[in-house]
This record gives sequence, C-alpha cells and structure tokens, in this order.
Amino acid sequence: MSTRLARILTTIFVLAIVLLPIYWLVSTSLKSNREITQEGTLYPHVPTLDNYVRLFTEKQFGSYLTNSLVVTFFSVAIALVFGAMGAYAIARFRLPFAAERKVGLFLLTLRIIPPVVILIPVYLLMLSLGLLDSWLGLIATYTAFNVTFCVWMMESFFREIPVDLEEAAMVDGDSRFGAFRRITLPLAAPGLAATAIFAVLVTFNEFLFALALTATPRAMTMPRGTATLIGRIDTDWASMAAAGVIGALPIVFFALLVQRHLVRGLTMGAVK
Amino acid sequence: MQTGMQARKYRLQGAGLDLALPYLMLAPGLMVVLGVLVYPLWDGLRASTRAYRYGSPVADVGFHNYVQLWSDAQFLNSLWVTVKFVALSVSIEAVLGFALALFCLHEFRGIRLLRTVLIIPMVITPVVVAILFRLIYASDAGMLTALSEAMGGGGVQILGNPLNAFIGLVVLDVWEWTPLMFLILLAGLQSLPHEPFEAARVDGAGSWRVFADLTFPMMRPVLAIAIVLRTIDAFGTFDQVFVLTRGGPGEATRLISIYGYDTAFKFQQTGYAAALFVTIGLVVLALAFSAIRLLRRIDAS
Repeated sequence: MSTRLARILTTIFVLAIVLLPIYWLVSTSLKSNREITQEGTLYPHVPTLDNYVRLFTEKQFGSYLTNSLVVTFFSVAIALVFGAMGAYAIARFRLPFAAERKVGLFLLTLRIIPPVVILIPVYLLMLSLGLLDSWLGLIATYTAFNVTFCVWMMESFFREIPVDLEEAAMVDGDSRFGAFRRITLPLAAPGLAATAIFAVLVTFNEFLFALALTATPRAMTMPRGTATLIGRIDTDWASMAAAGVIGALPIVFFALLVQRHLVRGLTMGAVK
Repeated sequence: MQTGMQARKYRLQGAGLDLALPYLMLAPGLMVVLGVLVYPLWDGLRASTRAYRYGSPVADVGFHNYVQLWSDAQFLNSLWVTVKFVALSVSIEAVLGFALALFCLHEFRGIRLLRTVLIIPMVITPVVVAILFRLIYASDAGMLTALSEAMGGGGVQILGNPLNAFIGLVVLDVWEWTPLMFLILLAGLQSLPHEPFEAARVDGAGSWRVFADLTFPMMRPVLAIAIVLRTIDAFGTFDQVFVLTRGGPGEATRLISIYGYDTAFKFQQTGYAAALFVTIGLVVLALAFSAIRLLRRIDAS
C-alpha cells in the first residue's frame, strides 16, 4: 500500500514539475500586460485573445510560420531522398579501397563536430552568394545537416533488411535501382519515418543559424521571429507568452502524434 | 561466410550502368555536404588564421588568434562557466533520469501518461523553453514572484543576480533534458536480461544489493553513452541562454557559444571568433573520441 502511495505521489510531483511552467505560459498569454505586471494574478481574471491576434496582425507571425514550414519541409524532404540513397550505397556496396566505409565514417565525424564551428564561414558563404535572409540559404544549410543525420540513421535500417529480397526482385527482371526503390525502400519505411520525424523536430526548432542568416520577416523562422520580441527594454510579456504558445504548439502536437517513432529514434543510437 | 557474402555483393553489382550506381547514389548527398559543410569548415580554418577589419581579411596572423585566446580573460571565464554548467546539469540529469527510470520500470497505472508528458520538454523549441523560464523568473511578471506575493512575500530576484541566474540556467537545462536521460536509461533497463535478477531474488537479495551488484554494473555502458551524448550537446548550448539571460548579468551565464557569437557578430572580430569556434570543435571532438575509447574499454572488461 505504501509503495502505491509513493508511486502516485511521485507521478503527481513529476507531472506538476513538467506542466506548471507550461500552465504559466498559457495563462500569461491569456492576460493583458496590465494584469501581468500590476496585479500578478495566478490565473487570467479577464481572459483575452488579443495577444494572439496582435501577433498575426502587427508582428508578422503568419510569415514566420510560413517560412518555418517551407524551410523545414524542403530541407527534410531533400535530405531524406539524398540521405536514403547514400545510406543504401554505404550499406550494400563494396567499393574499391573500402571507399563507402570511409565516406560513412567521414559523415559521422562531421556529425560530431558542433554546428557552431561553421557558423561564421556559412554566414560568409551565404553573404557572398547573396543568400542571406532567403529561404534558399536556410534550406541549403539545413539540408546539409540533415543529410549527415539521415545517412547515419538510415544505414543501420538498411542493414537490417535481408539482401535476398533484392536479389529475388532482380532475378525477376528489376534493375538494381528498381529493386532499391520498389523493395528495399518500402521495407525501410518505418526507419525512414523515424528519421524524418527527428529531422523535422531538429530543423523546426533550429535557432542559431536562423539568427545569423536571416534578418527580416521575409525569411525569419518561428524561433527566430519569437526571439525578436524579446530583448527590448520594455518587454511585452503578453506577446512573448502568446508567441511561445504559437511556437510550441505545432511541434508538441506533432511530437505527441508520432510519439512511438520518436522515442525509438531518440533512444535507438544509445542502446544499440 | 564473410567472403561468400562479399562475392555475392560483387555479383549483385552486375555490369554496365549498375557499376556506376553506388557513386551516383552517393553523389547528391556528398555534394551538398561538401558545399555547405566541408568547404565552410576549411574556410573557417583559413579565417581563423587571419585578422579582419569591417568584415574583410586584412592580414595573415598565423596561429596568433589561437595563442591570444589563452590570455583572454573573457574567453577563459566563458570556458569555466561552460564547464561548470555542463558538469552540474549533466550529473543532475543523470541521477534524476536514472532514479525516474528505475521508478518507471514496473508497469503501473499512470505510467503512459507520465511518459507522454515527459516528451514535451525536450521537443519544445529551445527558444520557447527559455521563454517559459523567463516567465517563471521575471521579477515583475514571473510565476515565482506571483506565488511569493500570493503568500504575502515580496518580489523574487533571479535573473538580476549572478549566482541565481546561473542556477536558474541549470534548472532550465535539467527541466528540458532529464526526460531524454530518462528515456535512454529506461530503454536500457528494459533491454537487460531477466535471468540474473530472478536468480538474485531466489537467493533473497535485497533491492539495494540487486541495484549495486547487478543493475548498476550492467547499466554502465548505457549510462556512459547517455552522459557522453548529453555532455557533447550541452557544450554547444546557445539558444536558451541567448533568450534567457543573453549571458548576463555581467558574465555569470556567458557560455562559450554566446561569447563566440558576440565576438563574431557584435564585435565583428571574425578571425578571432573563427579561432574560438575551431577550438570548441576540437575540444568536443577530443571529448567524443576519448569517450568512445573509454566505452570500448568498458565493453571489453
């Protein structure tokens, strides 16, 4: 009986720790700035949606959201296609000088290097190409990061699929690439999904490169746009809270939707 | 067996166009990576040996930037703050995550809800996590102040005080990343073999003995990997600090990434900042490789 009580209490305690900050964010986003700073209420006494309306009418949150969705979609989609092909080549072919293994190791090393190392040169590169503050500059950058990740993840998924199935398809007249496309790829779909989900999360949430590479609502992503609301001397707490809710909603909703794949992707690398 | 597999793969490669296939499949990804990661990496190395004025290189200075780092009090301080931050956050996360994973190992009602809710902190945009905590810490609009006032106290100062701000940052990191530690360790615990535990129960071993003699030693590799992953990641923490404190007050929470960013984009010392970032990269790579060697040794023993 006492262990049961301890379990219930611990569960409630952990839930409270996780959810209280989120409650406060949502609650603040429904108050007016006056109520926030002068009355210090614990819940919105006069709930209002003004803060949300203001984000879209005065602060260009529509553009930020569009930019984020476009950039995330294209960089993940391109990286998945390129990454799956590269991972397949590394997993299945034996090239002269073990070239495929060297390429794999090289991409893994690139993944370990923290992205911040190339922040300045990527900025200079985009500056010289005229791609600062554009979708294309962000998409190119994120695609590169996602490719190294996709190759690394997908390779292990492809290795789990028996070669015999492809051989059978080729005996039946498929080309090598045809066998990859029609047999192996569909079999690797769960792995592909886990990879895509993780890439979407990381890309949608990225801030550092968005901060350096974008400057106007033309290309600013959600996290980048949210951060511009902060740091002024007179902080607009109500807008900030509403921006936090809008910024978090799509990704939390998405994560809870694909929860099972996500947990698999998060823990796979470590436990294997 | 091995040679048989190899032979089969060679045969699979077939002739003609199929011979070029592996290269064609590797090419697109490699091209993107070479253009947007490798070229900048090389360019960054080059920039780190130069002095810049108003964004363009004016002189080659060799390793001067690298040497100068080690007599730069602000760099040394940011390095120290980063090491403190990483060591403190990651060890708290490891202990809490492990405890929570052990707690959740036995199925009970409410555990699914708990696991679902625990996903939220680590998937929320880091910028928004920082907003969450600003709204908790703020001395005028914050939850702590509101709670304190509701109980008859005064305003609470967190972000204006160096020590409190640093602790506040660690608390943020623990809130955000303990769930990841928990998930990895729970997956590790669930993959342990059952037999030794059953044998121990038959022998009548107490739960502390089981933990010290079985669970902990068997979990060491997973624990090590989780700690290494988090350490590497925490070393590059930027977003949360940028939004929460911008490195302040003073230099109390100025992590190395924040200092590097300011050096590059606020003070426009491009070459110096490039050298700083290369140094961070080398430190992280060294950490990663020594961790891999350590893990091999644990595996072998």
